[in-house]
Amino acid sequence: MTNYAFLIDQSKCIGCHACSVACKSENQVPLGVYRTWVKYVETGTFPDVRRRFQVTRCNHCANPPCVRICPVGAMYQRADGIVEFDPEICIGCKSCIQACPYDSIYLDPETHTAAKCHFCAHRIEMGLEPACVVVCPEHAILAGDLDDPNSEIRRKLTVSQVTVRKPEQGTGPKLFYIEGNDWALHPTASSAYDSFFWADRVTEQNISVYALPVLPSSNGRTHGDTNTPRRAPSGTPIRLPQEQGRPWNGPVQFGGRVAEHMVQTAYNAQHKIYWHWELPLYLVTKNLAGGLYLLASLAVMLGGGLFDPVAFLGAGLTALIFMLITVILLIKDLSQPKRFYTILLRPQWKSWVARGAFVLVGFTALGGLWWLIEGAAQIAGLDPAWSQALRPALAWLTFPLALLAVVYTAFLLGQAEGRDMWQSPILPLQLAAQAIMLSLAALGVLGGLLPAFPERLTSLAQSALPAAIAVSLLLLLLGRFPSLASEVALLGYREMTHGAYRRHFWWGGLGLGHLLPLALSLFLPFAVPLTFLAMLVGLFLYSYAFILAPQRIPNS
Amino acid sequence: MTDRPSIPPTSAGLSLPHFSLSARPPIQLTEVVHPDGRISQYPPPEYWDDWVEWDGKEWPKRVPRRYTLVPTVCFNCEAACGLLAYVDKETFEIRKFEGNPVHPGSRGRNCAKGPATHNQVYDPERILYPLKRVGKRGEGKWQRISWEQALDEIAAKMRQSKLRRPNGIVYHVGRPGEDGYTNRVVQTWGMDGHNSHTNVCSSSARAGYNFWSGQDRPSPDHANARVILLVSSHLETGHYFNPHAQRIIEAKSRGATLITLDPRLSNTASMSNIWLPTYPGSETVVLLAIANYLIQNDLYDKEFIRRWVNWKETLHAVARGWLPLKDASLAERISAHLASSPDPGPASSSLDLFPLFDALLKDLYAEYTLERAARESEVPLDRLQEAARAVADCDHKLATHVWRSASVGNLGGWQVARCLFFLNVLTGSVGTRGGTSLTNWNKFVPKPFKGAPSPETWNELHYPIEYPLAHYEMSFLLPHLLEEGRGEIDVYFTRVYNPLWVNPDGFMWLKILTRDDSPIKCYVALTPTWNETAWFADYVLPMGHGPERHDLMSQETHSGQWIAFRQPVRRVAMERSGIKVDFTYQANPGEVWEENEFWIQLSARMDPDGSLGIRQWFESPYRPGEIITVEEYYRWIFENSVPGLPEAAAKEGLTPLDYMRKYGVFEIRRENYLPYAKPIGQPEDYQVDEFDRAWKDGQVVGLVVDGAVRPGFDTPSKKLEFFSETLYLWGWSEREYTIPWSLKSHVHPEHVDRAKGEMILLPNFRLPTLIHTRSANAKWLYEISHKNPVWIHPHDAKRIGVETGDLVRVETEIGYFVDSVWVTEAIKPGMVAVSHHLGRWRLQEQAGVNRGASSLVKIDEDGSGRYHLRVLHGATAWTSGDPDTARIWWTNVGVNQNLAHAVHPDPVSGVHCWLQKVVVRQAEPGDRAGDVFADTNKSMEVYRQWLALTRPAHRFSPDGTRRPYWLSRPLKPTRAAYQLPQPAEGT
Repeated sequence: MTNYAFLIDQSKCIGCHACSVACKSENQVPLGVYRTWVKYVETGTFPDVRRRFQVTRCNHCANPPCVRICPVGAMYQRADGIVEFDPEICIGCKSCIQACPYDSIYLDPETHTAAKCHFCAHRIEMGLEPACVVVCPEHAILAGDLDDPNSEIRRKLTVSQVTVRKPEQGTGPKLFYIEGNDWALHPTASSAYDSFFWADRVTEQNISVYALPVLPSSNGRTHGDTNTPRRAPSGTPIRLPQEQGRPWNGPVQFGGRVAEHMVQTAYNAQHKIYWHWELPLYLVTKNLAGGLYLLASLAVMLGGGLFDPVAFLGAGLTALIFMLITVILLIKDLSQPKRFYTILLRPQWKSWVARGAFVLVGFTALGGLWWLIEGAAQIAGLDPAWSQALRPALAWLTFPLALLAVVYTAFLLGQAEGRDMWQSPILPLQLAAQAIMLSLAALGVLGGLLPAFPERLTSLAQSALPAAIAVSLLLLLLGRFPSLASEVALLGYREMTHGAYRRHFWWGGLGLGHLLPLALSLFLPFAVPLTFLAMLVGLFLYSYAFILAPQRIPNS
Repeated sequence: MTDRPSIPPTSAGLSLPHFSLSARPPIQLTEVVHPDGRISQYPPPEYWDDWVEWDGKEWPKRVPRRYTLVPTVCFNCEAACGLLAYVDKETFEIRKFEGNPVHPGSRGRNCAKGPATHNQVYDPERILYPLKRVGKRGEGKWQRISWEQALDEIAAKMRQSKLRRPNGIVYHVGRPGEDGYTNRVVQTWGMDGHNSHTNVCSSSARAGYNFWSGQDRPSPDHANARVILLVSSHLETGHYFNPHAQRIIEAKSRGATLITLDPRLSNTASMSNIWLPTYPGSETVVLLAIANYLIQNDLYDKEFIRRWVNWKETLHAVARGWLPLKDASLAERISAHLASSPDPGPASSSLDLFPLFDALLKDLYAEYTLERAARESEVPLDRLQEAARAVADCDHKLATHVWRSASVGNLGGWQVARCLFFLNVLTGSVGTRGGTSLTNWNKFVPKPFKGAPSPETWNELHYPIEYPLAHYEMSFLLPHLLEEGRGEIDVYFTRVYNPLWVNPDGFMWLKILTRDDSPIKCYVALTPTWNETAWFADYVLPMGHGPERHDLMSQETHSGQWIAFRQPVRRVAMERSGIKVDFTYQANPGEVWEENEFWIQLSARMDPDGSLGIRQWFESPYRPGEIITVEEYYRWIFENSVPGLPEAAAKEGLTPLDYMRKYGVFEIRRENYLPYAKPIGQPEDYQVDEFDRAWKDGQVVGLVVDGAVRPGFDTPSKKLEFFSETLYLWGWSEREYTIPWSLKSHVHPEHVDRAKGEMILLPNFRLPTLIHTRSANAKWLYEISHKNPVWIHPHDAKRIGVETGDLVRVETEIGYFVDSVWVTEAIKPGMVAVSHHLGRWRLQEQAGVNRGASSLVKIDEDGSGRYHLRVLHGATAWTSGDPDTARIWWTNVGVNQNLAHAVHPDPVSGVHCWLQKVVVRQAEPGDRAGDVFADTNKSMEVYRQWLALTRPAHRFSPDGTRRPYWLSRPLKPTRAAYQLPQPAEGT
């Protein structure tokens, strides 16, 4: 077998950027995006200072998460280990960008599709080394077949001490570094400022203090500060305990006079944030739609006729309208919207983006069919016996699809290995709780709007609403616990709760999304339209913070 | 002629290139070259004529493209690395540039600037046609003219000038990028018309090397060194960055020790085993302390010195009282010894005399202890000790280099090169494997078919009387000299030269060029792209980038000799396809020409009837009486002047010219160690003098060492000159000038009051991605590096109250500039550093320097010589034929700091001493990054202060000449022209 990999010898690399430019030339890479670049980190205290270079690019992972998440197989792993992409297939969902823990994928501004280092596969196939290897003045970049015992890369790799970036992600990176430096390898170990030492810095990544190594504490003291009244019995001053998962000086410690040492990024490629308001909004609209059908089908499954046809048609129509908005949002967010249908024509079944598309299509189709049948029975003269007879079957079929439509996003976000914070085990529960809460409130609104709406359903919804909000609130607050699992997740979480999105989180997610609705539902139940509106806006703001915050934590 | 295939147009300058589809798929190199599955780096030369490969952008769609691969030479720095252009077989558009694998210097590898050559060819802002000014100078109004018109008008002006005065035409070159071609042309005009950029660059180091050896550049054999000692940053810049960086890292990987002196943590310093962050100006003290460590501990190579150094002459200098010693009794012993044996003879006395020289060295240098060096350089003592031990342990394999850095930074910086090379001398690492050779041993410049005689005149604007030892022309003083009324220029050519931007005191250039009675009567800018100075030209003539021109280049990149042939790749590709091209501008984008053909046509037109005696030098050696073609010019050289080339070509069944067209390079020899020691004959044929020199027919022809005549060195003594009689006789008789010694820099701690907030600005460091003003048209390079913030140590930043990104005013002697700061531990406290590449500007929104690389500015002059450059806005995206220009995402493009630098001409070497004493403060409200202010009245004051430091020829010349004749200079005039003019009255 052939198994291509890179080995970069940082003991030879002089940081000249020849590889970066040769790559641009070979692959005609547009301005603003990078397939390979040289990160510079300056460390030390004068005169003990070093500048660390790190050639940074796609790792051609043995287990590439970008391939797994790609809904259409536009990103794929070749049998020879090269992770390659096809711009003619890519629909521009940007999931692979979220799935890459290494910031290696970008959206090409010309093709509007995902792109990255492809190992110069077009050259490899002719028997030529990648352009970066050929240009390198120092022969610091080796590319070759790990499985060939005679290859230079194999021979050098087996006798060298090497490191990789983020092995804990389980991706099996196949870009090995000789003399890789931890401060450069670890994206959050070095300070970053508004500028690099010979370039502007315009990225939204890593700009909040919460993503920087030295965390200011609320009382103006850093957590490792020994200037505290606390002393050990020996009289020696002792440090305050630090925040979990957040070492005082960043994840890579620098001994000695910590704060006075410099660890700063002097140059790095700059990455855009690719998921914006569309995805958070989709979470809300889809959850509402799914939640309404969830309740309607559950009611049928449990029996008791809570949903009479009017209630069903009202709730169903609301759900279908919100599904329509959902679909529009999803297609709009594709950078190749005209290719949206290919997700159904050539699904890559390991991808939750593809699975989700089928879930949403199945859910909408079934829910729509059910609604048509019920509607036809009410309006178009279909024999109501038909609709009555089909109803249980439709409910039993719809329920799992509606549930999946609500929670599948948790599995999709779980596949986004570049954003540890999203890999939360309680995310399905949070989504379900939000869906229930939203749809209960929606039922309350429908009860007010439609005179024929069943009173019993409205009042039941209104009485269940505070409990549903409370559950959702509890789950939202529990979200902190999964974030402690990794440093990057924690940084994302802090960015959400204390950084750029703190207002979205506290005022929006907690206040507008939960506390205000809870208070209203308890004390002013007739203000349910207001409750519903607050919930919609609040949950959107929360989702916005939840989706945006971890994208601002650098992966390179 | 009518049925010949027409020349296909190129989209260069208008839009990105398009490529044709190949009818056949690529060849699998894994089958035809490496059947064992190994991967190749390059298509083998036998496939270069017709090569198909998959299009990388279209992949994974298999789109085959068919190219002819044409070797050429990179023009982005002086290293002359090989490039291989992939030219489409049908559209003749260039797809990319890779390295030329057969080039012995660059060996197929390049730095970032090599592949970025593509950006320069397809730069949407490039100048495509000859332009003539229509408004006032600098108004920015241009009219497109034909080459015919340009040639006719300029040639007429040149002819008039030639008839009127001896030195009215000047060719002022920034980057030659070629060996000898244009110098030959200027020489045919019969004038002292060559001016260069070298005195803002390397001439200080060159002077130091020249005083030692008669050659002005080192050629370190990095690859085989055991210790590499750099007073420069050759792992990211330096003249031969890529070839040297390859070999330095090779040696380091094998265990060599890399030592770097630099107050700033360059990438090179960061890669070094020992970084010596010296206080600027203390480099000589550090180097002499290492020397003294070798001397006092008897760790130096006495045998080498006994053979090759002018130690006997030095003893005589002591005896004559020219070189005072501390130990008076030693001086007496030396005098007595020399008196007792007046004619020591070559072999006899060496053994008993040499101990006196050993004692002399020990006496002279005893004061240079490592402790003193640690104190003055502010470098930890243990690092200096480690460095000294490493040098002592180098085993004749010490590769050293100083190029710009400290030598061009400090007053007296030429002594840095002398002190550095002293270590090569002491360790016997001169010309050895792993040691340091000299340029001419490795660089090869072939002779052209015929050359004009030396000019009989002396150009006072280039070599003013105050600077008899200036290693190159006093180029950067040109506006000051003109302002003083020292002369006029009828026709002024600049070539790849942007003095207004690059030189210190740029507003002086602006002043001279825009004066109503400008002493520069006609200014012709030869440039492929707009630059700040060309904006004030009368004619702007577009000349080709690296792949659009013919040139021959050779560099001393390693131990070996090669010549490389730069080619206009589209023209060559067309000719390979049978399309005849008469002039390169027909094949180049627009009507971009090349200087080679331009100079031939211009010079011939200057003298249409041959009456000026110029035309004869441009007549073909193959077609008598007819004007030579560029192909004939090189054909003659390849057939007649390059040893081994005709034979190598014949072996492949090619003519020498076709061989060079195919490979673009020829390796003349692989190794050339110790050439100075190779016997050239028996001493019987010669007379030998008391200093071991062999004489024949009244000429010194070599040096007698160990019984054989050997070439020795290119100095008057034929030896390495420890004691420089030249410096002694030409007025610099103090010990600190005559031997390797430390001189007090103009930024010596005595002159910098740190308590008052005075700091030293290091303004001349380079980035690995850029070259001067020539890379602003390379989008891939500018994307990586586009601004030059002020590096400042955290302690200084705190004192001033600024953080990374804040704006400061850096105040110089004549003004100030505004820039943002980069706070870093990677610089010595008390210093600030600003890279010299960036800060490009333009005066019109739509025209001038590339909009993605320059700020739009306005320049105000208050009527009394005070200039204010204000930034209106930074770089912007714009729409052009290249979609990338709309994607420019950066705005800050840095500051043109040189505008605020006063001139600091070193009184000996003539170089501009770049370091500036500055005060750094927080910026004022309203200041913008990039703003500059300078007062040209103060400029002239500072110029006169430095002028007062000189020892002019008319007062100090020992022999009534302007300059020591043995010192080299471009276009060396006849001996008669060296005579000082007779003073009108006794002075």
